[in-house]
Amino acid sequence: MTTTDTRRREDGTRMPSFLTSPTLRFVARRLLYSAVVLFGVIIVVFSIVHLVPGDPVRIALGTRYTPEAYEALRAASGLDRPLWEQFFSYLGNAVTGNLGVSFRNGDPVTVALLERLPATVSLAVVGLVIALLISVPAGIWSALHEGKLSDGIVRVVSQFGVSVPDFWMGMLLITLFSSVLGWLPSSGYVPLSEDPVQWLRRVILPALAVGLVAGAIMTRYIRSAVLEVAAQGYVRTARSKGLAPRIVTFRHIVKNALIPVLTIAGIQLATILGGVIVVEVVFAWPGLGRLVYDAVSARDYPLIQGSVLLIAVMFLVVNLVVDVLYALIDPRIRLS
Amino acid sequence: MRRRTALVGASLAGVLAVTGCSTGQSVDVGADGSDEILTAAIAGEPDQLDPHKTTSYFSFEVLENIYDTLVEPDENLEMQPALAESWELSDDQLTWTFTLREGVTFHDGSDFTADDVVYSYDRIIDEELSNAWKFSAVESVEAVDDYTVDITVTQPTPNLLSSIGGFKGMAIVEKENVESGDITTDPIGTGPFSMEEYTSGDHITLAANPDYWGGAPEIGGIEFQFISEGSTAIAALKSGEVDWTDSIPTQQVESLSGDEAVTMGQSPSNDYWYLALNEDREPWNDVRVRQAIAYAIDRDAIVQATSYGTATANQLAIPEESVWYTEYDTYSTDLDEAQALLDEAGFEGGTLDLLVTSDYPETVTAAQIIADNLEPLGITVEIRTPDFATWLDEQNTGNFDMLMMGWLGNIDPDDFYYSQHHTDGGSNAQGYSNPEVDELLDAARVETDQDARKDLYAQAATIIADEASYIYLYNPSVIQAWNPELSGYEARSDRAIRFRDVSFGG
Repeated sequence: MTTTDTRRREDGTRMPSFLTSPTLRFVARRLLYSAVVLFGVIIVVFSIVHLVPGDPVRIALGTRYTPEAYEALRAASGLDRPLWEQFFSYLGNAVTGNLGVSFRNGDPVTVALLERLPATVSLAVVGLVIALLISVPAGIWSALHEGKLSDGIVRVVSQFGVSVPDFWMGMLLITLFSSVLGWLPSSGYVPLSEDPVQWLRRVILPALAVGLVAGAIMTRYIRSAVLEVAAQGYVRTARSKGLAPRIVTFRHIVKNALIPVLTIAGIQLATILGGVIVVEVVFAWPGLGRLVYDAVSARDYPLIQGSVLLIAVMFLVVNLVVDVLYALIDPRIRLS
Repeated sequence: MRRRTALVGASLAGVLAVTGCSTGQSVDVGADGSDEILTAAIAGEPDQLDPHKTTSYFSFEVLENIYDTLVEPDENLEMQPALAESWELSDDQLTWTFTLREGVTFHDGSDFTADDVVYSYDRIIDEELSNAWKFSAVESVEAVDDYTVDITVTQPTPNLLSSIGGFKGMAIVEKENVESGDITTDPIGTGPFSMEEYTSGDHITLAANPDYWGGAPEIGGIEFQFISEGSTAIAALKSGEVDWTDSIPTQQVESLSGDEAVTMGQSPSNDYWYLALNEDREPWNDVRVRQAIAYAIDRDAIVQATSYGTATANQLAIPEESVWYTEYDTYSTDLDEAQALLDEAGFEGGTLDLLVTSDYPETVTAAQIIADNLEPLGITVEIRTPDFATWLDEQNTGNFDMLMMGWLGNIDPDDFYYSQHHTDGGSNAQGYSNPEVDELLDAARVETDQDARKDLYAQAATIIADEASYIYLYNPSVIQAWNPELSGYEARSDRAIRFRDVSFGG
């Protein structure tokens, strides 16, 4: 249904005039696509409670189980109603930002998620900056010195970074910078708005733990992107025109190679936002990852559902932004 | 290995150079000034702070410092005055009269009176909260006047003091605080510290209560941080960011003990771990088969694997340090004896369904060793590891051959034996029944002479172990570590975290 609709719009026949710009059309299509994915995610998230083995209410109560408490929690979480009714009520609530209340302490899930979001965003953004600062120079350098010793070193180090789990990197950083050198705190979070210096001191180690690993992955992508562009015909043309190597390198190769980096950076940002569970646990960082970890440990299903939904939404938003930026930078994307 | 480290070091140096982070100066960490705040890293976040409703140990670590009970255990776990200055027992042993301390105030300034005691206890009983069973013998709680409370019991109850003072689950709460619902996040007690700030996911800050009846604490307050990863907590302790922690990986205990930067506190706990065989099923209903298993298991290996040697192997529930300890050493590992008992019982091999739970990883580790121990006897152990809620259901429906679990937070000997081994006991899932043990436990429950009581429990415990109602494994240790400059703190066997008497550099 949606496909036909989109196609008709592509013909331009029933298109409102403001959507005639190809970029806007692309954005509209991308938004529609995100909405469809989001609907799918909501179905999956809703199903979590119904797919887990055992009765989630019974599991959540554990030793606190009494028949009265069971009935009360079951009614409070709406699990005593027909499935379709539960689904539409979940959908309606989710759209309006109501994700239910935590099994563990009765707090609204939305509030818990929003409380944790700033810590995770700080960590992810600083981590991404570190990853970019490492990977862009290292990847370009390595590609331009292909086959030389320095390329070999970058490749070995980045391979090591790719293979190391981020929690292990975290432990290593704590051992070195907190235990041995005593330069930086090993744990805790101070909001940026409260004390920027303390915020920075505390964000560095966890951000390094995620940034080093992400940086290693991105270095390898950038290296191959640069190598690929360097082999293109227009680069050969530029060289044969007798342009200075420096100009060929930066105007032709690097500029074009950095376009796919945007995608990789977007994917890495989304991955960091959703996947820093273990790093947050290691550094006692009060972000979404820790929340997911605690929710899973406590079998707090509404909280697990809410976290998964929020992480999925962040993925969608980041991907949407990346795709749109990409389309703005590289007009070819819009045509595909 | 060495090469890997060098590589990582090189890449780290590179990163620091690239990001331009100045890490050249050492950083001043730790508290300063006279009103020092003690920073304590606990291994998890409280689920809520209502002492009558929570069952989480992380909550009690915080609540220990906010609330008081009528009486409280000293370091030997004997009950001492707290909010009650003194108490008297009527001649028929059915009425306990408590004289309350005068001039005590709650953190919000309101006076503490007998009505608060009545309100708190009635709340636990009437709402059937998780600790209501501790009041099972209580008929009524009444305020005689502002500073006198009578507790009437249906039969002599020598363990009443440990029931009402054993832990902060029996705390005296404030009615208004409960009715407003604030108690779950902003509890108001009469204790040495008052609630100041709670940042979900990160920390809880308490401030010293200058009006505390036991004298104002020497430190200015406590900040509880939630650090579940033991290595992080230890790093934070060593670098001075935190002053105290119990988030310690057991495998690090040995190396930490030799570290001058930390003080280790280790004390055998009153918790115990055990095995129980289902006596409603054959062949486990044969006492000889149960004894054979008791002889076959290697307790030392289990202790080593589950706790890196920090726990103490035992054959009865109560540890050696307790005044209620009874000597007993029947079951040394002896496969010949085990085989002889099985032969006598006519047992010719078979499978054993062992119920443990992934929520308590020590049970899974121990199960693997037990499986190995029982194999030479022709017993194939099938290990099941459901989550704890399912484990409880399976236990309650009797769907197991053998199970492993622990009893945590015991103080009075009644806590160790009655509900587990009395025919009508609420936790006798293994189906043990011996009229002689029932009689001893019933008598001990109402015996007010401590020596006579101790003797009754010693007899009951010996029979219980002889007949392998429970096969006892070990008492884990309470393991804590703190800043050597901290004085006045001790690791307690009941795991109560009391910071009211600590000071820095004292």
